Amino acid sequence: MQTHQYDVVIVGAGGAGMRAALEASGEVRTAVISKLYPTRSHTGAAQGGMCAALANVEEDNWEWHTFDTVKGGDYLVDQDAAEIMAKEAIDAVLDLERMGLPFNRTPEGRIDQRRFGGHTRNHGEAAVRRSCYAADRTGHMILQTLYQNCVKQDVEFFNEFYVLDLITTHDLSQGDVPDDEDVHATGVVAYDLQTGEIHVFQAKSIIFATGGAGKIFKTTSNAHTLTGDGMALALRRGFPLEDMEFFQFHPTGLAGLGILLSEAARGEGAILRNSEGERFMERYAPTIKDLAPRDIVARSMANEVREGRGCGPNKDYVLLDLTHLEPAHIDAKLPDITEFARTYLGIEPYTEPVPVYPTAHYAMGGIPTNVDAEVLRDSHHVVKGLYAAGEVACVSVHGSNRLGTNSLLDINVFGKRAGRTAAAYARTASFTELPEDAAARTVAQLDEMRDRPDGDRVADVRRALQETMDANAQVFRTGESLGQALTDIRELQARFRTVSVQDKGRMFNTDLLEALELGFLLDIAEVTVVAAINRKESRGGHYREDFPKRDDTNYMLHTMTYRRPPSAPDAVDGTVEEYFDHVEEFDGYKVVLGSKSVTQTRYEPMERKY
Amino acid sequence: MAATVPDLAAPRDPYARRKTTRSNYELYGWIFMRASGALLIVLIFAHLWVNLVSGEGVNAIDFGFVGGKWANPVWQVWDLVMLWLAMIHGTNGVRTIINDYAERDRTRLVLKLFLYLAFTVVVVLGTLVIFTFDPCPTDAAADLLPSFCSSLPG
Amino acid sequence: MTATLEDAPAAEQPAGEIPTFDVTLRVRRYSPENGEESTWDEFTVTAHGTDRVLDALHMIKWEKDGSLTFRRSCAHGVCGSDAMRINGRNRLACKTLLKDVNPDKPITVEPIKGLPVLKDLVVDMEPFFASYREIMPFLITHGNEPSRERIQSAEQRERFDDTTKCILCAACTSSCPVFWTDGQYFGPAAIVNAHRFIFDSRDDGATQRLEILNDKEGVWRCRTTFNCTEACPRGIEVTKAIAEVKQAMITRAF
Repeated sequence: MQTHQYDVVIVGAGGAGMRAALEASGEVRTAVISKLYPTRSHTGAAQGGMCAALANVEEDNWEWHTFDTVKGGDYLVDQDAAEIMAKEAIDAVLDLERMGLPFNRTPEGRIDQRRFGGHTRNHGEAAVRRSCYAADRTGHMILQTLYQNCVKQDVEFFNEFYVLDLITTHDLSQGDVPDDEDVHATGVVAYDLQTGEIHVFQAKSIIFATGGAGKIFKTTSNAHTLTGDGMALALRRGFPLEDMEFFQFHPTGLAGLGILLSEAARGEGAILRNSEGERFMERYAPTIKDLAPRDIVARSMANEVREGRGCGPNKDYVLLDLTHLEPAHIDAKLPDITEFARTYLGIEPYTEPVPVYPTAHYAMGGIPTNVDAEVLRDSHHVVKGLYAAGEVACVSVHGSNRLGTNSLLDINVFGKRAGRTAAAYARTASFTELPEDAAARTVAQLDEMRDRPDGDRVADVRRALQETMDANAQVFRTGESLGQALTDIRELQARFRTVSVQDKGRMFNTDLLEALELGFLLDIAEVTVVAAINRKESRGGHYREDFPKRDDTNYMLHTMTYRRPPSAPDAVDGTVEEYFDHVEEFDGYKVVLGSKSVTQTRYEPMERKY
Repeated sequence: MAATVPDLAAPRDPYARRKTTRSNYELYGWIFMRASGALLIVLIFAHLWVNLVSGEGVNAIDFGFVGGKWANPVWQVWDLVMLWLAMIHGTNGVRTIINDYAERDRTRLVLKLFLYLAFTVVVVLGTLVIFTFDPCPTDAAADLLPSFCSSLPG
Repeated sequence: MTATLEDAPAAEQPAGEIPTFDVTLRVRRYSPENGEESTWDEFTVTAHGTDRVLDALHMIKWEKDGSLTFRRSCAHGVCGSDAMRINGRNRLACKTLLKDVNPDKPITVEPIKGLPVLKDLVVDMEPFFASYREIMPFLITHGNEPSRERIQSAEQRERFDDTTKCILCAACTSSCPVFWTDGQYFGPAAIVNAHRFIFDSRDDGATQRLEILNDKEGVWRCRTTFNCTEACPRGIEVTKAIAEVKQAMITRAF
């Protein structure tokens, strides 16, 4: 076992992690721990762009951007946070340009901008050109640029290190802590994949930037490595997760594969068609049609298929039509995604429409933070020295549905803020003593997992989880389907306790790590479903067929899910709003729901029409 | 399920990149190869034409023909340049091949020593021959010499 | 109602084609903990028409032998984790469809060459990244930061577009015979990333980078075998980029 001491430890080297590292490493001793080489992170898979009201090509301002974000999120957005994001978006884009990011250019040599789903002029009048982009590989360029600057700044990386535990002064999963007592995060326990050695990192500030959890679903655009590690670690220490029921399904995944085809395709003029060749989005969103926000488009597509207007032999997908666009234009603006269609489906997008179907894409929920990226332990109190940014966090700027391009914005704006606040805190704080046996729990868990007799295969349990989530908690949900999902998850949690790994070695034991990741996935799926059962309304990415209307009277609140011991009271955080009193018992713990109010500043909730 | 073939080379040992060495040597080497290559095409084809095609063609070649050519300083310089360029060009080419394909430092060193030795021998001998060629050496058997040698004074 | 993987082949294959087939993979195995020799293992799995080599490796790992070790993440050719030698050619396992590499015969899968093998298909990438870091892969500018963006024309942006696509998968570098010898050559990937900045109109560090690549182990070791261009899963014209860097050096020297 090795012990390290850093002022700031950042977990995760995607966009948010590296953006934070660029801020913190210049100020204080900083380490970045990542389970992948930084350039492998899934930020690199983002395609379409990053919105900022630069107004380089047409009139625009950040207030409109704020409005679009709030409306896109079906008014569950914290409006103060959305305002910060839209305002700081401009600097975030310019920062990246100055760091060397090769944006596409206008004829005048400025950063070019294009249309994107849900981004409009003057509060919904028409689509606006707001997304700054580099062909259809904007995420790739952001990830590369951030890594390049980390190389320039000599940031210290621990690559292929898996963080398996978060060390805190209090374990809230063992019971509540009085409001006036501080809870500190003091370190993390990591597993070096190459050697199998355990490393304990003591830190004054810890930033979680571990990304999403798309692998709870079967059809997903997410990487195999997106297993919700950071969210699950926080949850297991009793910290809440916010708005987990809201999961975004991206409309245009390659049918059957889930590989993402950017919304930029529609931004450049592509059209969705059903089996009758009809441009069906005209019916669902008369004003901005194919450029409606993702939840609406995904639901419309699923509805077309359900009503028998799907394409293909099984009538189970719709078509994305680019054939009316100039091949040269496609090559210039959408080279990568057309290549995906060619490589994986053997389809030539110049001449044939591409089969697409919604794919699990983005977790709007996550670890609750305030606008300074400080993690909340309930709806009011912050955890000292713990920060979160990016998809793992829920600020919440995305509310119940994220707008396209706002994730790249989120990682840059809140990654930067996390780095700054974490460094500032580290400069004033001192190290908190770690417990003697800081790594004991992790070591025991690893040894136990390795030494188990033959049992269930990790892959079988994971597949069963992904299948039940796809079948029961996808675009359309009902109380019944969610109940089924929860029953399945309970059963899979039991099976998980007997899964065995075949690789008993120390070095590069990815078999063992996949087992641990499965544990994270199960925990995340569990709170996702529990929160979805409780929210008996339809809003943004969460659509309940049994409750198809938005219900602002009872549900205009963020869901908070806590893990507590079975003996704990059924309420966390003082008063509980009437509709957020749900509790689910599990083997050895229970999931207790709570709520957090939504911050409203300028915009009164309205009906959401496009 | 597992058919095992054991006789494979072991994976290579870990290594680190060596300290870098910066100079313009490789740059000029690269340019020299291209320039000399282009020049050699002219030199060699002109040489082949004069020796093998023009006049009586290949039948005319004997000591006398060579001696006749080298009586002219233009041809002396021509052949000297051709010799040097070809040897440097070829040696440098083989040197890069050795660098690319000889994996161990020792093998490289030995091969390159041989190469440089061969280079030196050929260039020194060749240069000597160009400037000291005598078509009628005095102590040679008469039947090996061209006919005009006998008509020359002692 | 979800479109599943099982449905896809039936949907996309022309009529008459068999939706599933058996395929054998010959995988080169090496475990640092069980002796120093590497071995070949053969596995047969049932695959679908749109399955990739990565899917077959997953089937092996998840259903047959959990100890088979390889890197992967995004699974659609943008993260660069799973470069490996498939039937003797460097490719990304997630971008290589089984039906495109003749599944009638056993498909050989080996780690990329020229980097130390750590386990099975996993190699030590550190020497590769060390070369990358040496060429200063970041924008270098002098003078004051502009308050807005730097101006760059669409043509200037287009000049280095090809080399911005690099995902650092090492397929090119580890396909280069010169790199195989002793791994001292900077390698195509490092030169490609230098190219990306040398030809960026906003960058002022070209001289330094050219100086670095003028090294004994720099661009002049390139023998234009074109292996790198052929191996690049992003379709970058690597050899051309290297030639352009050579040209820039010559222009600078004279």
